[in-house]
Amino acid sequence: MDTVVTDTVGVLTTASSLFIVATGLTLVFGALRLINIAHGSFYMYGAFLATTLVAHVPHVGFWVALVVSPLVVAVMGVVVEVAVLRRLYRREHLTQLLATFALLLIFADLALRLWGKDVRGIDPPAVVSSNFRVAGAVVPTYDMVIVGVAGVVGLGLWVLLARTRLGWRIRAVVDDPEVLSASGTNVPLLLTGVFALGALLAGLSGVVIAPQQAVQPGMDAQIIVAAFIVAVIGGLGSIVGAAVGSLVIGIVQTLGAVWAPSWASTFMYALMIIVLAVRPWGLFGTPER
Amino acid sequence: MTVSNDLPGGTSTVDRAPDLASTRPAMRRRPWLQALLPVVLVAIMAVLGLVLQASPLLTLQEVLALVVLATATNLLLGGGGVVSFGQGVFYGVGAYTVALGWLHWQLSFWLTFFLAPFVGAALAVPIGLVALRARRLYFALSTLAFSELAYQLAESRYSFTKGANGVFGPFVPASLTNPVTGYFFLLAVTVVSLLLLWKVNHSPFGLVLRAIRENRERMQALGVNVYRHQLAAFVISGFFCSLAGAMFVVYSQSAYPELLDWTTSGAPVFMAVIGGMGVFLGPAAGAFIYQFGHDELVRYVDDWQLVLGGVLLLIVMFWPDGLLGTYARVRWGAIRRRRSSGGEEDSDG
Repeated sequence: MDTVVTDTVGVLTTASSLFIVATGLTLVFGALRLINIAHGSFYMYGAFLATTLVAHVPHVGFWVALVVSPLVVAVMGVVVEVAVLRRLYRREHLTQLLATFALLLIFADLALRLWGKDVRGIDPPAVVSSNFRVAGAVVPTYDMVIVGVAGVVGLGLWVLLARTRLGWRIRAVVDDPEVLSASGTNVPLLLTGVFALGALLAGLSGVVIAPQQAVQPGMDAQIIVAAFIVAVIGGLGSIVGAAVGSLVIGIVQTLGAVWAPSWASTFMYALMIIVLAVRPWGLFGTPER
Repeated sequence: MTVSNDLPGGTSTVDRAPDLASTRPAMRRRPWLQALLPVVLVAIMAVLGLVLQASPLLTLQEVLALVVLATATNLLLGGGGVVSFGQGVFYGVGAYTVALGWLHWQLSFWLTFFLAPFVGAALAVPIGLVALRARRLYFALSTLAFSELAYQLAESRYSFTKGANGVFGPFVPASLTNPVTGYFFLLAVTVVSLLLLWKVNHSPFGLVLRAIRENRERMQALGVNVYRHQLAAFVISGFFCSLAGAMFVVYSQSAYPELLDWTTSGAPVFMAVIGGMGVFLGPAAGAFIYQFGHDELVRYVDDWQLVLGGVLLLIVMFWPDGLLGTYARVRWGAIRRRRSSGGEEDSDG
């Protein structure tokens, strides 16, 4: 019984952290038809900024970081969109892919300049750093914080996209920007906003994951592949797909590490390949034209 | 240089019926010019092999492997408009074929070097069958997943691949470890590979590939099996990418997991973009610039990726045709203008 609880918590925690990263990626793809390889950089900057803030603002540092880091990263997103991506929307997909790849390289070395090569880490805030017991199994409270944040993000995005006029515009912009523009929407502003929101979510995931994982250079390239896999399995552009995809990958990673540790690292990729072989546009996606 | 010295009278031949197979009308007017450029380039490379010291020759050996890798990747990219972030798989498999053949079965270097491209091509069939079902971005991402899968397999199967350490060993024959003979061997392999790839590019098959890139739906409507053509291109590309990996072994005498990583797979795409995807020798030029730029940069700055990223971003934003592509476009533009002012219709819309 206790291993069932431990495994379930492990699956949920992994899935939740993946979900927060992948939603930003899939949201940006849904509105902009853009694969942002630099999404992992935003995630890394969120985590690095959090370590700095926690070090310089004692006691309440984490909660400050939870609000400030994602906002700073969102501003980075605005700069990137206005300075680079906006000029490339009308060009081939390859162009945008390579531009964001170039940004990944630039941001990686800038982070080395700013924070160095050292592995950093932060402690979870005191309020949630304890453990509690469920059916004999020890559950870290902070794991539940991650699950909670993922729940809030998922619900918030669903309300935004399905229940508001703004969400209706975000969903419409990819199909018909001209008509949307004619009906009074500032389309460039909308696109900048969506990209900034995607960056904000990446930054948020970086902060949330920082107490659990080593914060170090290279975490950008590492997470981006996992986030792609989650988003692609679910179908790019679909928030529900991102939720299902992260749950599937959470199960595969957590149980794989228990049952077949030497093969665990390969399961995620094999799974994505199988899904794409059956449904080349992902489980909840729509075929590309 | 010689190309720009056009005689005014030479233009009349261009105004004849447009020849679809010709991508370079300027050179078509004087066929000997088309043959001269590669001969001159190879001659220069051969002279370099005789005069250079051992250390720059070793760098040139690596560049030659990258030239083949980038040109083979560009068969998909420039030819078919297919962005693969997975060509590192074949590069790595080529290198591992030589290394593992020696490690486990004591196979001779010459045998494994000959086998490597066929192993790559054989592997490209199933990968291509799956990946090409997806389009554009999904295709790029699924090749990326294959790349990571291969990387993780190479790293985690320690008993077979020696894991993260990679295979190092004296599996390259002594005759090739000499920088000069090694260089001339790789130069010969490069020349033959580029000739074959050029043949593919300029065959009816290559023409169909370019047509698919321009308008997939139209080619489908014309009864062309797009999937099968792209699969064939993927297999040919895999063949030569694996050959490039086997060439890499001659230079490095090793094979390790990083060769399979998706960031390695990105490198030949960069080279093609820097040099120009639309021109046959563009990626080769890009490979030279990339490798020598890297070697010079790491000497002076710590963050060479910053510079590489910056250069790449500027090229992508402001100079999308790349180094050689811009030159080709300028010439094309001049010819188009001349042709259309002569009252003839542009053959491609």
